[in-house]
Amino acid sequence: MPSEVLGLAAALAALVWGAAALDARLGASPQSRLVGGGVARPWREAARLLVQQRRRTLLPDVLLTRIGVLTLLLAPVLAATVLPLGGAPVADLDVGVVWFNAMEVCVWAALWLIGWGANSVYPLIGAYRYVAQGLAYELPHMFALITVAVGAGSLRMTDIVQAQHGLWYAVRMPVAFLVYLVSALAMAFWGPMGQPLGRDLAGGVPAELSGADRLLFLAGRYAVLVVVAAAAVPLFLGGGAGPLLPAWAWTLVKTVAVLVLLVVARHRLPAVRMDRFMGFSWLVLIPLTLAQLLVVGIVVLP
Amino acid sequence: MQAFLAVLGLVALVVVGAAGVYAVSLVVAPRGTLRVGPYLSGGRPREHALSRFHVRWYAVTLVFLAFDMEMIFMYPWALVVAEVGGVALVEMFAFLGLLMVGVVYAWREGAFRWV
Amino acid sequence: MGLSGWLMRWASVRPLVVTGVYGTRTRLLVEAEMARRGWAVALSPGEANLVVVCGVPGEGLAQAIRVVWEEVAGPRALVELLSDATPDVVVAALDGAVVALADEPGQRRAAAEREPPSWPMDHGMDHGGMGHGGHEHHMGSPGGVAMADRGPDRDGLKLDRLHVPLGPVLADWPSGLVVETVLQGDVIQQATVHVVGGVAGGVSFWDEPWVAALEGRPVTRGEAERRRAASHLDSIGRLLAVAGWPSAAMEARWLRDRTLAGESRADLSRDHARFARRVRRSKILAWMLRGVGTSAGPGASPEEDVLSRLRRWLDRTGDAMSALDDTTPLVGDDGPRGPVGERPSAAALAVLPRLLDGAELAAARLIVAGLDPDLDQLAQEPLHAV
Repeated sequence: MPSEVLGLAAALAALVWGAAALDARLGASPQSRLVGGGVARPWREAARLLVQQRRRTLLPDVLLTRIGVLTLLLAPVLAATVLPLGGAPVADLDVGVVWFNAMEVCVWAALWLIGWGANSVYPLIGAYRYVAQGLAYELPHMFALITVAVGAGSLRMTDIVQAQHGLWYAVRMPVAFLVYLVSALAMAFWGPMGQPLGRDLAGGVPAELSGADRLLFLAGRYAVLVVVAAAAVPLFLGGGAGPLLPAWAWTLVKTVAVLVLLVVARHRLPAVRMDRFMGFSWLVLIPLTLAQLLVVGIVVLP
Repeated sequence: MQAFLAVLGLVALVVVGAAGVYAVSLVVAPRGTLRVGPYLSGGRPREHALSRFHVRWYAVTLVFLAFDMEMIFMYPWALVVAEVGGVALVEMFAFLGLLMVGVVYAWREGAFRWV
Repeated sequence: MGLSGWLMRWASVRPLVVTGVYGTRTRLLVEAEMARRGWAVALSPGEANLVVVCGVPGEGLAQAIRVVWEEVAGPRALVELLSDATPDVVVAALDGAVVALADEPGQRRAAAEREPPSWPMDHGMDHGGMGHGGHEHHMGSPGGVAMADRGPDRDGLKLDRLHVPLGPVLADWPSGLVVETVLQGDVIQQATVHVVGGVAGGVSFWDEPWVAALEGRPVTRGEAERRRAASHLDSIGRLLAVAGWPSAAMEARWLRDRTLAGESRADLSRDHARFARRVRRSKILAWMLRGVGTSAGPGASPEEDVLSRLRRWLDRTGDAMSALDDTTPLVGDDGPRGPVGERPSAAALAVLPRLLDGAELAAARLIVAGLDPDLDQLAQEPLHAV
């Protein structure tokens, strides 16, 4: 058990750094990219934030901010405990999918608390943007998860992986997979769904964070991104199944592939605003996922 | 039981890690806490930012709540639909169909559009 | 304190760039140099450790810069550059900032000697430091600041209102512009526009070739079109940044810097064509920008939304780039924003309050970026100056 805990923690930390480095690399200016700029930026950024003096806005709610930052770190880590990393997950719950869903929704609270805590207008607006975003993405996301559960007849992640031998759910239920990827961007407030941290809001939710608070916030946001990418592997990509390599290696390869896809999406797609996306989500994505659920439901009938 | 101990260990690891970051920052950063005003493009605030926010997507939250309650029923349903068979599927989709009628009505009323 | 010094030397630099009136040329040099060094800009003082001031700020802007500078936590550095700074001066100044940021004893001394900020006056939060205190001690105005008051809302409700100035120190925002907004949630109930001036008596960087031609100095059409292309690319970069597409914004700015650096027509035209195709093809961008910034008033044309303005900039940049090698003398006064003598940016400012009324903050930022007024055009007249 301790080895699994440490393995999960090490894998998460490595992937968090990898995602941040790749993102910095892709986001580096073309001129600096020629001379290898970008990859070291996460470390340099961490160094800068560590030596930064503590800073406090007028009458902030520091306790709420700290709870928010810690929740943003804990929620993805707890969500990851049900993901099989080759062998058994750290906690092989029979309601693994529900647990994952519940932990991921804690990010709503985390972001909102951080945005509220600073007593500053830009973080506050960013926090409310994220709540609106949650209302748009959460239902299609849950329908995608339930489609997987119906297909496997189980909410246990290892059962879902077992049920996919032969044909991955990404192929068997492509609409659910695509909707999952969109909702992954949204719950990680990443790239096209990153307006809670929008440039038009001077950085949004973390605008007033500095020093260690900002460092942990950034670690948490990359952890969310890593975990939503990692969850796609047992849910849709057959878990550790694959030729030659051991299961943990395949899990890692697939996780990295999804993670790269999400990071690249940030640099390919413009941001989506919820005042336009909300209608699309409710009137197009929800009916689509319901149709997908119906098809899968009919297929699993005895 | 062992799984919960493992999860607890993981939580402890994260908390200790976060505390470590704060501790290192305390040691290496300049002393003291800087007190600043909220960032307002170089202006001073006339009032506190914390206020009753104009949540224009209020109607969406209500539609969401109706649907979200329903999702709780769907997790157990997902486990038994294959055993129970067609009846379970028909009943659930009749229910979802009714909810979708509500969504379409909300859309017609303009609940998903706000400016 | 070996570790601390090592971390400070290793730390990244996050500059917050402030531009005064007539500071555009310096801003462009600074942005190009920052891109070369791979520095990502800061969006707020909480994120920054360096403040770069381009051009000499007037009193209003200088006050705003003082406020923002107070909000930057140490280690920090301040760089002030004049409007006529040369590339060498910019490089040296930024090098100096790097040295200052890595100077551990100096930074510690500066942090220790730092005077308590002029504001907030009331430090009622010293006890405990864990949030909830404070509020109840100052009924009505905790910390010396009032609680939000209610006002009538456009939908017939009575809601809390916040007074939030946009600008002058704001990323991807026209230099010198201040929009005083009354916000309810993130909806602008009311917007008033004013300008914080700089030192008067210059010519807008973007209008220079046309102004020079009008004054009888020899200017080729190719030179002017180069300036026009760079001007539009600057506006495009700003709009794309506000629209939440940083990689495309970076590409626009890279093209802009190469255009100003005098790169050849063939290379620029090719790369701009590719860039313009990428932006035009984005269905998401079109979906998000369509219909934003159309005024509901009489005579409003539906095609004048932010999307159509972006596409027009892309077209005009392409046209300008095909004329880069034209050595015929420049005739006419049709600058990047219209006839330079008529100061078209003044007209843009005049319509701004009406366009912003009732707009969401995100839309408001897009509207301003879509107009991208050049306040250097009107700094000659002290009419709006504060």
